[in-house]
Amino acid sequence: MLLLFLLPLFFALLVPNQKAAFIYSLAPLALLVTGHTEPIQVDWFIQGAIKFHLAADNLSLIFLYLVAVIVPITILVQKDKYSLTLLLQGLLIGFFSSQDLLFFAFFFEAILLPLFFMLEKPYKFIIYMVAGSCLMVAAVLSVLFGGISSTVVAAIFLLAFAVKTPLFPFHGWLADTYCLAPTSATILLSSLLSKAGIYGLLRISYRLFPAEMLAWSDLLVMVAIGGVLYGAFAAWGQLDYKRLIAYSSLSHVNFILVGIFAGNMIAQQGAIFSAINHSITIAGLFLVAGWLEVRLQSTNMLAGHGLTAQIPRLAWLTLFFILSSVALPGLNTFISEIMVLYGLFQISFWQTLLVGTTVVLSVIYMLRWFHSLYFNKPTGGHYSDIQTKELLIGSPLVLLILWFGIYPTAILTIIQSIK
Amino acid sequence: MSDIFAVGPLLILFIGALLLLLVDNIKAVSVSTFGALIGAALCAVMAPASTSTLLTPWLAFDKLSLFFTLLFLGIGVGVHLIGEKKAEFSFFLLSSIFGLILIAMARDYLTLFLGLETLSISLYVLCSFIKTSPTGAEAAFKYFLLGSVSTAILLFGIALIYGATGTTKLIMPPQVDSLFLAGAGLVTVSLLFKAAIFPFHIWAPDVYAGAPISVTALMAAGTKAGAFAAFVRIFMMSYSSLDQSLLAIAIFPTLIFANFVAMQQTELRRFFAYSSISHAGFLLIPIASGGPDALSSMLFYLVVYALATLGCFACLTFVEPTLDGVKGLFSSSPVLACCFSFCLLTLGGIPPSIGFFAKFYLLKAAFGQGYIALVILGLLTTIFAAFYYLRIVAALFAEPKTAQRSVVGGGAVASFIATSALIALTIYPEPLLTILVAIK
Repeated sequence: MLLLFLLPLFFALLVPNQKAAFIYSLAPLALLVTGHTEPIQVDWFIQGAIKFHLAADNLSLIFLYLVAVIVPITILVQKDKYSLTLLLQGLLIGFFSSQDLLFFAFFFEAILLPLFFMLEKPYKFIIYMVAGSCLMVAAVLSVLFGGISSTVVAAIFLLAFAVKTPLFPFHGWLADTYCLAPTSATILLSSLLSKAGIYGLLRISYRLFPAEMLAWSDLLVMVAIGGVLYGAFAAWGQLDYKRLIAYSSLSHVNFILVGIFAGNMIAQQGAIFSAINHSITIAGLFLVAGWLEVRLQSTNMLAGHGLTAQIPRLAWLTLFFILSSVALPGLNTFISEIMVLYGLFQISFWQTLLVGTTVVLSVIYMLRWFHSLYFNKPTGGHYSDIQTKELLIGSPLVLLILWFGIYPTAILTIIQSIK
Repeated sequence: MSDIFAVGPLLILFIGALLLLLVDNIKAVSVSTFGALIGAALCAVMAPASTSTLLTPWLAFDKLSLFFTLLFLGIGVGVHLIGEKKAEFSFFLLSSIFGLILIAMARDYLTLFLGLETLSISLYVLCSFIKTSPTGAEAAFKYFLLGSVSTAILLFGIALIYGATGTTKLIMPPQVDSLFLAGAGLVTVSLLFKAAIFPFHIWAPDVYAGAPISVTALMAAGTKAGAFAAFVRIFMMSYSSLDQSLLAIAIFPTLIFANFVAMQQTELRRFFAYSSISHAGFLLIPIASGGPDALSSMLFYLVVYALATLGCFACLTFVEPTLDGVKGLFSSSPVLACCFSFCLLTLGGIPPSIGFFAKFYLLKAAFGQGYIALVILGLLTTIFAAFYYLRIVAALFAEPKTAQRSVVGGGAVASFIATSALIALTIYPEPLLTILVAIK
């Protein structure tokens, strides 16, 4: 575990070029596959009151694998600042495996630092996030000392995770940050950072304050449903396809939260599965959006029409990720969304019906994007199609989507063993 | 003999300072300054505590004294590395360190006063060390005038306490009357002035911006630590049964004011003045709250703060100290920029740096005593701090490439040492904390 955490940090110090960075970033995956996850525990601060304790149970492992898979892909589409990505990888590994509450808060805030340097105009994002982290430190203090009613503490934790994920209506930073950032940073944000909040909810809120979370279940589910619909309608209204994906991500993340807040077993398992699928699919979507942007020199949906004739391979890849995102049966998202809806149905018919509309909405806004750019009457201009290298970058995501779609039992057994 | 050995650090500094006036070549100055500082440190570590009745009423020979002696000597080494290698400069540097150590060891108001005055007079001169600089002269004059007023207030406070208790010793009187309280209040005001706490902070920005950078570093790290050493000696060690929660009244405006103003500064020395005011507010929290963790958390914060401040100022010696001046430092001298940014992150309490844990420990101590409003304010100001420290870090890594500068010399060494120490603390802070907890 220590090696898993330190290796990326060490590599971050000595990165000559992209190729080396890519090879370094694969190290955690290799360690995970070979099973190097022995826990480590050291007395660290204030006479052992704070321990440096890293360990990985199945919940952690799922997210660690996501980190290990997504980070190498982002490095391949990055142009500079590789060491920041490796630093972020190390810190994320620390975050997802930390067992001490203060170190959890520490890594929760520390992952902002590399992102600060990767983003364009990062202040809005940073101020939101630092505010969330300060809430978290306050909550950690109150857990250490007690004396403050657990309702308040649970609410503070919830707020901190809500900002990070983001739960509607704490999404103010989302659209601008996703759109202005370079592709690699957007992938890291949407695919991994949003999972930090979800992991926090599962690890902290539901382990430490199950009673409070259950009591607020109704309200939180309604808020999250609001986020699902808001995200979907906002995505529908966009002319900028990067913003469209950003809002679709908001919608999907809130869908995951619906599953978590619903609180019963099947919905939460579905939510965890959804979280994994969202990571993979959104990474794919932003990947193709980045390649499109390079070719069109614009993120406007009306910048080109009928591109399929010129860039068929990119069109196929885009369509594949879109279909995964709209939960086509046979692809990954379908199973997880069914699980969440099934779990929610046991609680409320009307809520399920409301959330269910998003399945239709997502098809509308996603296909609208696809239709506008790739079909219609072709406009002029000459664009080059993606090459083997780009296809290889996208292929791990494609394989994972197919695997989880066609044979989900493998991953579901792991998810079901949590708790 | 062992008594002379016990006050050895003070004697070595004193004699070293006098000897320095006789030498005039750079190498000899450097060697004898280092010799005096390191010799004093060695002597402090090895010397036995004195039991002589001539010394113990005036000076305390406990672990706290040893800790502060070493801290101040370390600050002295840092400032000497940054500062000018001139005999006069080193003389005043050693004198001010002498004063600082005297403050930290004081067991009587007279020793305390002696220490504060030795420190202040040396600093008045150091502020105007560059004789041709008009801002330096202005800074020195302002500092001198306001410093004299604060000294007068201190003396008046001591006089009142003497009137109430019949002694200048730092001991709690059997019964507390209003005369004694008035005296203690005046002493507090004077120390708040030295530590630059709102509303006694007016001098700090002008003086910090006018003085040479090495002297600003000495004031930011040394004087501040000295003022808090006095706070510890008076309020934590002697008047511990006095209710100190009134100090919290000074903390609220300090944190709010300093953070808001710091956000608007583009001149970095002024910026560091306001940021140091904010840190002084933080350091005051454990003194106001008290409690079992208060002393160790404050000392820990002080060490981290002093190291990071010295590191920052050491880097500032190579650039024009404005936000535009440091732009693109990373492209011309990456190591220096990395050191600078790590020190800034530490000051901001931003992970992954030990500053986060130092702040946490401080707030934990206050939280344990029920000062929840202070904790909330402390956390809120951290958001502002993150903004304004990260703004400088962003400027360091910004694109426009600046001309190549030569960054060799004492400043680079000092910033590198300070950063290395901070990184070591980040990786494993427990040993230092064990030492600090043992101080009672």
